[in-house]
Formats: sequence, C-alpha cells, structure tokens
Amino acid sequence: MALFRAAFGAALLVASIDQTALATTQNVIFNGTVAPTCTLVVATTGTMTVSPDLQSLSSHNSGGSAGTVTLTTTGGVSLSVDPVTTTTAPSADSTSTTWTPTYSAAGAHSIVETGSATSISTPGADLVSVHLAGTKGGSNRFANGNYQATVTLRCE
Amino acid sequence: MKHARILATALAVGLAPIAAKAQSMSPMRGEVNSFTDVFAVRVFPANPYDRKIQVEIHVYDQDFQPVDARISPNVFQLASQASRPVLVVVPFDGTTERKVRICTESIPFPNQQTQIRAQICGKFFGHRKS
Repeated sequence: MALFRAAFGAALLVASIDQTALATTQNVIFNGTVAPTCTLVVATTGTMTVSPDLQSLSSHNSGGSAGTVTLTTTGGVSLSVDPVTTTTAPSADSTSTTWTPTYSAAGAHSIVETGSATSISTPGADLVSVHLAGTKGGSNRFANGNYQATVTLRCE
Repeated sequence: MKHARILATALAVGLAPIAAKAQSMSPMRGEVNSFTDVFAVRVFPANPYDRKIQVEIHVYDQDFQPVDARISPNVFQLASQASRPVLVVVPFDGTTERKVRICTESIPFPNQQTQIRAQICGKFFGHRKS
C-alpha cells in the first residue's frame, strides 16, 4: 500500500510538471495609423514699410518685419501661399499695386523664400516667416495713409 | 431623399476619427462611399491658440473654386484649445466621383496692417455607388 501511494504521488507530480510545461505565450498586437495632419499657429503679424522711392511697400524694407507662423506636421502635406486678394488702401491711392506674398521656413525643414508650393514629406516643427511686398510701376507712388493686406498661408 | 442624406451622413461618420486637441483640422484625408446624390464628411476644426478665435469652413473643388456644399456650421467661435464637429454635405452634381477640399480658415490677429489667414485644407474623395 505504501508503495502504491508513493507511485501514485510520483505520477501526480510528473503530471503536474507536464501541465506547467504546457503553458504558452500569446502576442498582443497593437496597430496605429497616423494620418497627415498640420497645425498652423500665427505668432506675429507682419509689418510693411515704404521704400525711399515710395514704390515699394514691403516687409523686406528697412523697419519692416515678416509675420511668423509655427507649423507642426506629420509630413505628407503641402505648404503654400495664395495670391493676395483682400487689400485696403487710402483713398489718395488710386493706382494699382502688385502684391507678392512669399514665405520661408526654418526648423525641421529648411525652405528658402518662395512663392510656390512646397511639399513636406517628413514630420517636424518649423517657424515659417511670411513676407508681403507691394510694388508700383512707372511714376506711381504709395500715398499717405493706412494700407492693409491679408496673406493666406495654406497647409493641405 | 431626407432619409438618403441621413444614410450618407451615417456612412461618413465612420470616417471621422476622435478629435484631438492642438490640431487645426482632422481628418485631412478621406474617401466616402455614398448611395445618394450627396456625400457627407464630418471634420473637427480645433483652436490651438490660448484664446477664442473665429473659424470659417469653406469647401473648394480641385481648382479652388467654391463648391455649393451644406456646412453646419460654417462660421463659429471656438474657445481656446477646443474642437467641435462640423458636418459637410457635398453634392455630386451629376458625377459619380468628386474631389473636394474642405478648409478651416481663421485670422487670429484681425485689424492688423498685414494679416495672416491660416488655412488648413483636407482632401476628400466621394464615390457614388449605384
């Protein structure tokens, strides 16, 4: 009887060891997709000043300053500026003005000043400088008074 | 017709992910299948600024010509760091496919000499199924 008990106990122990050996692992898989996104935060607006010959009103002129925008993106987007369509001029200015918006960027991406669209394929954050220049041709000159223009900076 | 539009809207709801803060608009890409003469997209404009701004939603075609879409709401005030859903219903105008841009626009510093309008545009492709 003692021998039977010992044999039964040993068999039970071996069976328990086998059960432990049968334990398995399972992988838990996580998937994630990051869609193209873009954030534009306007930090400062620009200032235009007039040139000595009064034929240029530009953020490039002495005393002028670019508007600044913070761009944060996943990449897979395009940055561009639209032609300027919304302007106001003093009543004394009755001549036409050609407006040219441009932008440049520094940071994760380096974009040399341009007026064309730029594809951004990699993620990162940049400080975008937005410039605007108004020019008059011939004998036309900018007049005394307040000018205002709106530049559209697009990320798509 | 009303029920069909509701169905199209319901199909589009699956396109919209959970809105996240600090994004100007999400999603920025999408394809929608519709069994009606319109397709619907739900987008989430967000305000990353530390103050309230006015947001406008516009819909353009591939040549940036305005599209006669139904936008609810198309102009609204958005609190700092807030986001809200906007439903855009775009007509196919007799075609079986239509690509549109849905743009979130804001001028955070109005009444300045040089204003910057920040515009975030998403590209969306509608397919009409028969």
